[in-house]
Amino acid sequence: MTYLRLIWAIARKDMMIELRTYERLAAMSAFAVLVGILFNYAIDTSLVRPREIASGLIWMTIIFGGMLGMGRTFQLEEKDGTIEGILQSPIPLDAIYLGKVIANFVLLTVITGIIFIVFGGFFNLQFADNIIALVGIVSFGILAFVAINTLFSAMASRSTMGESLLPVLVFPLVVPIVIYGSTATSRLFAGRPFDEVTGNIRMLAAIAILFLVAGAWLFSFVIEE
Amino acid sequence: MNIKSVRWGVIGLGSLGVLTVLILHWMVFFWVPTESFQGVIQRIFYIHVPAWWITFLAFGIVALCSAMYLWLGDERLDIAAVAGAEGGMVFASIGLLTGPLWGRVAWGTWWTWEPRLTLALLLWFIYLGYFLVRKSMINPEQGKRIAAVIGIVGVLDIPLIHVSVSWLRSLHPEAVVLRPDGPNLDDSMLWTLMAGLLGYTLIFFSLFLARYAVGILERNLDLRDTTSESSHRLEFS
Repeated sequence: MTYLRLIWAIARKDMMIELRTYERLAAMSAFAVLVGILFNYAIDTSLVRPREIASGLIWMTIIFGGMLGMGRTFQLEEKDGTIEGILQSPIPLDAIYLGKVIANFVLLTVITGIIFIVFGGFFNLQFADNIIALVGIVSFGILAFVAINTLFSAMASRSTMGESLLPVLVFPLVVPIVIYGSTATSRLFAGRPFDEVTGNIRMLAAIAILFLVAGAWLFSFVIEE
Repeated sequence: MNIKSVRWGVIGLGSLGVLTVLILHWMVFFWVPTESFQGVIQRIFYIHVPAWWITFLAFGIVALCSAMYLWLGDERLDIAAVAGAEGGMVFASIGLLTGPLWGRVAWGTWWTWEPRLTLALLLWFIYLGYFLVRKSMINPEQGKRIAAVIGIVGVLDIPLIHVSVSWLRSLHPEAVVLRPDGPNLDDSMLWTLMAGLLGYTLIFFSLFLARYAVGILERNLDLRDTTSESSHRLEFS
């Protein structure tokens, strides 16, 4: 099998498990909607206009919701002991990592779509005109986040602290993603032209590539016994 | 190298370092002229800037030793990485504490969410994670490997810190020494800064050597108590 087919085999396996159980999808989308409701009551609308801070709320929901689901990336395999089987298969370790990244990326993309629709309704956001730019920003941002989160969730699955270790390790590294992603999103919400966010998109793409390359290289040291 | 020469190394480097730092403080308070724009508060620069340089040096050592540990699997490299990380945390803390003291006077605020400050604070937390991972792994050998991974990832953050200051609009003063067209500060100021750099470097390597030696001794002591799978004693070098 070629390398790409091996990556696809892992990604397909994870997505199929998700489609048969809907476990993470259900938990993460419920989280997204409920957080939207909580944010609505946490904000005093007589002091701040929700639309002005909506991009920050959206990005925080993506990050927290993502942590909720991604932390379980390797849990099923650890629990069933199938991780040994995958590690003994002739698939290179970086292909396993990239397959996991793809499955997580697809999952989080779906969740992010739900977040945008729900928050758009709750806070009356208009983003239909800038939809292409938004897709660019969000996809690179999520890709970078998923790349780093998949690597660290492999670590957390081997730790006595479990998923509580994840925020300490992941949050410092996602700050650049939040900075560039959230400022670009709020500019688009404010109706600014596309030119103002191209720098942010380039930066997010660079971070995504950096994290993907580092993740694929370092994954073998994390997962091997 | 035996334990005696390590001990003398630690004491020698440490006392030279402390002496240099005492001279540095004399230079900072009595010798170097006051900067014309910022006034007296600028003198904290001679402590703040060397502290960050040493932090970057320390975390650079962590990354290098971590990468070599992953490659060669020599346990002494892991012990050296821990020694570097602990030293780096000390100097990063000095940098993080002296920065706000200057900021309160120069900017009128203890802290601002300026990119370089933010990323420097995050660097501190990344290395906190480094120690947490070492302690919490079910398999300690794997903990060392994973900590090494974090040591490398943390260093990827350093260029991001340096780039962010010019990329995003920022309050933090521009670099005055490490510039493409050479340093642009007065000779006496440069000398004071270099004294700070020398003193801190000596103290750092004294701490590093001490911590490294303790790490090796601890490891050999563990060997006597338990029947660990790797059963050979480690030498210092």
